[in-house]
Amino acid sequence: MSCEGYRDKLIAALASGDSSLAGDVAVHLGICAECKKFYEAQVHLFGAIDSGVRAMVNEAVPASLSPRVRAQIAEADMPRRMWGVSWSFAAVAVTVLVISVTVLKRSRDNTNKVADRSPAVGQRASGATGVRAVLPQVAAVGPKRRSPEVQTATAPREAVKAPEVIVLAEERAAFARFVTDLPEEREVAVAFTRPATDAEDEAVEIALLQIDELDVKPLESSNP
Amino acid sequence: MRELVLIQPGRVLVGPSERESESCRAHREFEERLAECGPLAFRVAHGVLRNAADAEDVAQEALLKAYRNFGRLREPARFRGWLVRITFRMALDRWRSVKRREKRETQGEPPEQRAVGPTVEELAVSSEFQARLERAMEELPEKFRLVLLLAAIEGHTLEEVSGVLGIPMGTVKSRLFFARKQLAEKLR
Repeated sequence: MSCEGYRDKLIAALASGDSSLAGDVAVHLGICAECKKFYEAQVHLFGAIDSGVRAMVNEAVPASLSPRVRAQIAEADMPRRMWGVSWSFAAVAVTVLVISVTVLKRSRDNTNKVADRSPAVGQRASGATGVRAVLPQVAAVGPKRRSPEVQTATAPREAVKAPEVIVLAEERAAFARFVTDLPEEREVAVAFTRPATDAEDEAVEIALLQIDELDVKPLESSNP
Repeated sequence: MRELVLIQPGRVLVGPSERESESCRAHREFEERLAECGPLAFRVAHGVLRNAADAEDVAQEALLKAYRNFGRLREPARFRGWLVRITFRMALDRWRSVKRREKRETQGEPPEQRAVGPTVEELAVSSEFQARLERAMEELPEKFRLVLLLAAIEGHTLEEVSGVLGIPMGTVKSRLFFARKQLAEKLR
């Protein structure tokens, strides 16, 4: 075997960490000075590699490592807990919001339904004497009409902007009947439509009402 | 108000106190692993980065990651292997980003003159040898490099390296052999 072959064997032995040499290699080293020198240099090189790698990894571990990791873990845990709490609050807030919106929407729908079925009554504030209601003049209201239209003929334009009064359907029907009968009671109609005066009312004597005969008739609106 | 509880067959009902004690137990177990494997993570990182501050940062990140995944890493052997591999990967990533930054900063500057001529004996004792060794290590395939680093950690036997990496003993020996041989060729 040539010196090159022996050197390969030497390197293989040193690379595997085996310090004992095979018999033939040991014999060759005894007779070949060049190979012996090469072997010694390689032993030195592998030793230097080992000590160099050991120096790289066996650095003293800093004492701050564990406390830093613990602090990081505590920091990492904190937002997770905070997120949990935040999500709970968010869920509650969203639930409350949804319920509120639903309730509001329903009440608005109901209001709209009532408003659709009820006539609007305009009101006007006048002077410093307080609020005086100006009743609308009702034109051509038939008793059988489902939604009698009330027009504010005498009310000025600003009365339209005035707040509307929502009246129940039964009250509206009763009012319509009352207005239908108004032509027969002219004075009552005038009293209703005329603005109130600042003059104080005079005392009026009213005679007791006497009913001789009572005739009971079914209401028109109660017909099937 | 009465509370309704859903009980499913075949499932153990875990109450809040039991959950808490489970969490405490996990925390205690992680503390044990931290004491045992923290230095290992630091050393692996230092083997790659050769800088204590960077190695500490990487070890810390790796341990935090391990904590987050501790649910599936409760088995000690599994934990060690996972931690070593993740630390090694993270250290390599850090090392690459450091190198890229250095390259950007030194762009335009003349290339470093490499000294030639000194004998192996002279190099072995010099800091230049260490620098050359580090460069040679960086050129090693990752799997060789990791085995070399783990085997060099004080008190680590080849059996332990095999256990940590989950590879057969023969594979550890062969990787170590090729790593040392390649290093010697580069440094000769």
